Amino acid sequence: MSLVAEADTRTAVNLALTGRRRHLGGMLFRFGLLATLLLALAILLVLLVSTLIEAWPVLSTRGWGFVTSDSSSLSERAGVWQGLVGSLILVGFVAAIALPIGVAAAIYLQEYTRDTRTSRILIANIRNLAGVPAVVYGILGLVVFVKALSAITGPDSHGRSYISGGLTLAVLVMPIVILITMEALRAVPPAIREGAYGVGATRWEVVRSHVLPNAAPGIFTGAILAMARAFGETAPLLLVGAVTGYFSSASGRTPLEVLQGPYTALPTQIFSFAKLPANEWQPNTAAAIIVLLVAILLVNFLAILLRNRYERTW
Amino acid sequence: MSATATSRQPITLEVMRGSKRRHRKERAVRTFFQAAAFLGLVISIAIVLTLIGEAIRWLFDIQLGWLWTGGWIPRSNQFDLLTIFAGTVMVAVIAMLVATPLGLGAAAYLSEYATPRTRRTLKPILETLASIPSVVLGYFALQVINPDLVRKIFASAGTFNYLAAGLAVGILTIPLVASVAEDAMHAVPNALREGAYGIGARRMTVTLRVVFPAAVSGIVASLILGFSRAVGETMVVAIAAGATGSAERTLNPLDGGQTMTGAIASLAIGSDQVRGSGFAFDSLYFVGLLLFALTFLLNVVSERFVRRVRSRY
Amino acid sequence: MRNRRKWLALLAAVASLSLVAAACSNDDNGGGSGSTGSSGTTAQDLSGTITISGSSTVQPITSLVAELFNEDVSSDVSITVDGPGTGDGFVLFCDGETDISDASRPIDPKEEAPVCQQNGIEYIELAVAFDGITVMTNPANGDVTCLNKGDLYSLFGPESDGIDTWDGADSLAQQVGGTDNFPSAPLEITAPGTESGTYDAFIELAGIEDTALSQGVPEDQAATLRTDYHSSPDDNAIITAMEGSDTPLGFVGFAFAENAGDQVKILQVDGGDGCIEPTRDTIADQSYPLSRTLYIYVNKAKVSDPAIKAFVDYYLSDSGIVDAVQQTGYVDLPSDQIESSRSTWTSASGGTGATGSS
Repeated sequence: MSLVAEADTRTAVNLALTGRRRHLGGMLFRFGLLATLLLALAILLVLLVSTLIEAWPVLSTRGWGFVTSDSSSLSERAGVWQGLVGSLILVGFVAAIALPIGVAAAIYLQEYTRDTRTSRILIANIRNLAGVPAVVYGILGLVVFVKALSAITGPDSHGRSYISGGLTLAVLVMPIVILITMEALRAVPPAIREGAYGVGATRWEVVRSHVLPNAAPGIFTGAILAMARAFGETAPLLLVGAVTGYFSSASGRTPLEVLQGPYTALPTQIFSFAKLPANEWQPNTAAAIIVLLVAILLVNFLAILLRNRYERTW
Repeated sequence: MSATATSRQPITLEVMRGSKRRHRKERAVRTFFQAAAFLGLVISIAIVLTLIGEAIRWLFDIQLGWLWTGGWIPRSNQFDLLTIFAGTVMVAVIAMLVATPLGLGAAAYLSEYATPRTRRTLKPILETLASIPSVVLGYFALQVINPDLVRKIFASAGTFNYLAAGLAVGILTIPLVASVAEDAMHAVPNALREGAYGIGARRMTVTLRVVFPAAVSGIVASLILGFSRAVGETMVVAIAAGATGSAERTLNPLDGGQTMTGAIASLAIGSDQVRGSGFAFDSLYFVGLLLFALTFLLNVVSERFVRRVRSRY
Repeated sequence: MRNRRKWLALLAAVASLSLVAAACSNDDNGGGSGSTGSSGTTAQDLSGTITISGSSTVQPITSLVAELFNEDVSSDVSITVDGPGTGDGFVLFCDGETDISDASRPIDPKEEAPVCQQNGIEYIELAVAFDGITVMTNPANGDVTCLNKGDLYSLFGPESDGIDTWDGADSLAQQVGGTDNFPSAPLEITAPGTESGTYDAFIELAGIEDTALSQGVPEDQAATLRTDYHSSPDDNAIITAMEGSDTPLGFVGFAFAENAGDQVKILQVDGGDGCIEPTRDTIADQSYPLSRTLYIYVNKAKVSDPAIKAFVDYYLSDSGIVDAVQQTGYVDLPSDQIESSRSTWTSASGGTGATGSS
C-alpha cells in the first residue's frame, strides 16, 4: 500500500511541476463510476418515457375512463378497474395478515430472545424465506390454499379466490416485514429500554411504551414498502388462479362471496393484455403499466419521504 | 401501573413481586409473539414438505429417462432438465453481466464519491428502480429491448430470446446489487480510508485498494444475491423469452426457450386440472423443488459472506 | 401511545379501503340490471355464476358474448371465460368443473366422450361459427405462396422431426406428393400444441393421419405432428413469432391471422382443387380446405339454471351467433346451420330433449 501511496505522491508532485492539476486516470475512473450510475437511471427514464409514449393514445382519449372500465374483449372498451380493485383488496388482505403477525414475530425475535441457537436458526430461516422466489410461494399457495383448503377459500370457484391469493401474498411478504421490523427495532438504542426497565416495567410494557413508538417510523415505512411489493407481484397470483381471461363480477354479493369468488389483479391484467394482439392492445398494455407504476411509485416515494423526514438519529 | 409503595405501606415481598395481572398479561403477550415467530418456521417446513412430497410422487410416476431428452416438451413427456437449467443459467449470467458493472459502479460512486446531497437525491431514485414490478420489465424487454437493441445488433435473434430477457432481468437486479454492495462499502470504517489518505493516496486508489478489498465479502454477497434473484425471476422470462409449451435444448442466447421459473409459470397457466395429459402438470412441483434448492443454496452461501463482513468490523 | 393510534388508524384505513373497494366492485356493474334483452328474458332476477373454459380460438367470441350479455340482459350474472385449449377444456368439462366448454373441434368420441359418460355428464353440442385454420409465414418470405397437403405433411408431420430448413423437407415432400421447390432457408415453426383443438383440427383437415399411415408411421403416432417445434397455447404469441425470422411457419385460427394484418403473410392451401386463399367467403362455403366449425358444449344438467339458459339463449340469438361472431373476425354460420343449432338447443333445453350430443 505504501508503494502505491508513494507512487501517488510522486504523481501529484509531477502534476504540480508540469502545471497540470488533475490526474487523468483518477478523473476517468470517477467519471466511469458516475456513468454507470447515470446509465442505470437513464434506463429507468427510457422505460418510463417509452411506456408513456405508448400509453398516450389511450390515456389522452379515455383518461380516467380507462381506469374505471371493466375488462372487455374489445380493446377500445377494456379497462383496468377490476385489476385495480383486485390489487387493493389483496393488499388489504396482506396488510391485515402479514403486518400484525410479522411485527409480532419481529418483536419476539428482537426483544424477547437472547442469542441462542434456536433464535439464530429462526432468524436464518426467515432470511432464507425472504430469498425464496415468488413463484415457489405460488406453488405453496396452490397446494395448500387452492386445493387443500378450497372449502374455505372458495367453495364455488375451486379455491381460486381473493382469500387464496391474499393468503399467498401474505406468506410471501411476511419474511420481509419481519426483517425490516427487526432492523427498525435494532436501531432503538438500549438506553431507551433500560430507562423503562429501571422503573419496573415488564418487557411488554417496555416494548409497547418505549421501543415501538420510537421504532414506529421505520416499521411504518417497511410496511409500506412491503405492501408496494405485494401490489406488484404477478407470478404467485398466476399460480393460485387469478383470472387471465375475461370475467365479470356480479353485483349484489355479500363481501364474503366476493372474497370467495374469482378475481384478478393489476399486474396479472397487464400480463393478459401483453399477450393479446400487439397492434390493438399495445396502448392498453402500456396504459395499464402506467397506472401500476403510478400507484407503486407514489407509494414508494411516500415511504421514502416519510423515512427521510422521521429518520431518527440517536 | 403496579402499586407503588407509599410511605404508609411497608414493602413486602408481595409488593415487590408485582401485580399478578401484569405478569399474566406479559406471559400471554410473550406466547403470542413466540407463536408468530415460529409461524415462519412452519411456513418453511410447509414449503419444503409440499414440494418434496409432490415432487417425489411425480418422480416415481415418470420414467427417469424422460429427464434427459432433446428438450423441455412436457406434453410429449420430454422433461429435459438440462434445457431449463441451461435457460435459467443463461438468463442469470447475462443479467449479472449487466448488473455487476452498473450495480457495483453505482454503489462505489454513491459510497465514495457522492456528496451527501447527491446521495440523498440519487439513492431514492435507485430504490425506485428496485420497486418496478417484473411484469413491466418483461413487457419492456419484449417491446423495446428486443426490437430496438438486440435485433438491431443480432439480426438472427428471434422475437423471443434469452438475451433480451437476460438484459431485462439485469436491469431488475441492479438495485439489489447496488444497495447490498453500497452498504458493505459504506460500512468500511473511515479510519482505514483516512490512513490511506494520510500517506498521500488518491481517492481512486483508496476506493480500489482500500475500500474494495475491505468490503469484498459484502460485494461478493451482493453478487450472489443478485444471481439468486435473477434465477428466481419469472415474469420477465414468461413474457420475453418465449415461455411456451416447449423448448429445445440450446446454449444460444439468441434463441427463445424456457427457464425453470418460466416452465412453472407456463404449466400453471395452461390448466392446473389437467392431469390427463400425462405427467405435464405435476412436473412443476419437481422444478419448483429444484428452484427452491438452488436459491436456498445461493442464499446460504451469500449469508456466509455477509457474516464475514459483520464479524470483521 | 400517539404512534400506536396512528398505526391502528392506518390498519383501519387500509381495512376500510378494502371493504369499500369490495363493495364498489359489487355496485360497479350494477348499471343496467333491468334492460330488455334481445331474447326478452326477465332480466332482473337472474343471478349466479357461469364458468366457461376451453378453446382459445373460441374464447374471443364467448368473451364478447358474455360481455354483451352482462350489458344487455343481466349484470348480476358472474361469468368467467378462460382459454387453456380445447383438450384441457374438455377435461374440466367432463369433470363437472365448467358449465360450458368452448371447442374448436368436436369432442373426441374415443377418449373424451367416455370420460364424460363415466362422470355422468351429458352435453349438448352447438355449432356457433366457422373458422379457417390459416397457415402463415413472414411477409418477407416471397418464395412460398401455396402449400398442398403433401407440403403440409412434409413440413409439419410426424416424420419431420429434425428438419430445420425448408428444402430439407423436399425429399419427404416428393414422397407424399408435395411440390418440392422449397427455398433454402431456415425453418422455424411456432404453432399450437397438443392441448389445442386447432392442433387436432389441423391434423384432421390436412389429412396428416392418412398420409402418415400410408408412409408406414405406427398407428399411435400417425395422428400427431412433429415434436420439435415451438408449441404455444397462446395464439397471439404464434403471430408475434412470425415476425421473428424471415422464413417462419405457423398456423392459427383465421380471426387472429386476419387481425394481424401485414404482420403475417397468409399462405394459400391446395386441397386438390387449386390454391385457395382463406377469406370469409371461402370459409363460409367451405371451399378453403382447412375450414372447420367452432362449437360450444353445454352441460345438460345445468340447463335448469336460469342464468345459464338465458346465456345460451343469448348466445344463439342474433346478438351472439351473428353479431358477436362477426365482430370478433370469425365467419358466421349460414342461416340453415344457425337454425339447426337453435332447434337443437330448444329441444334440449325446453324439456324432454335428445340425450347427449347432436
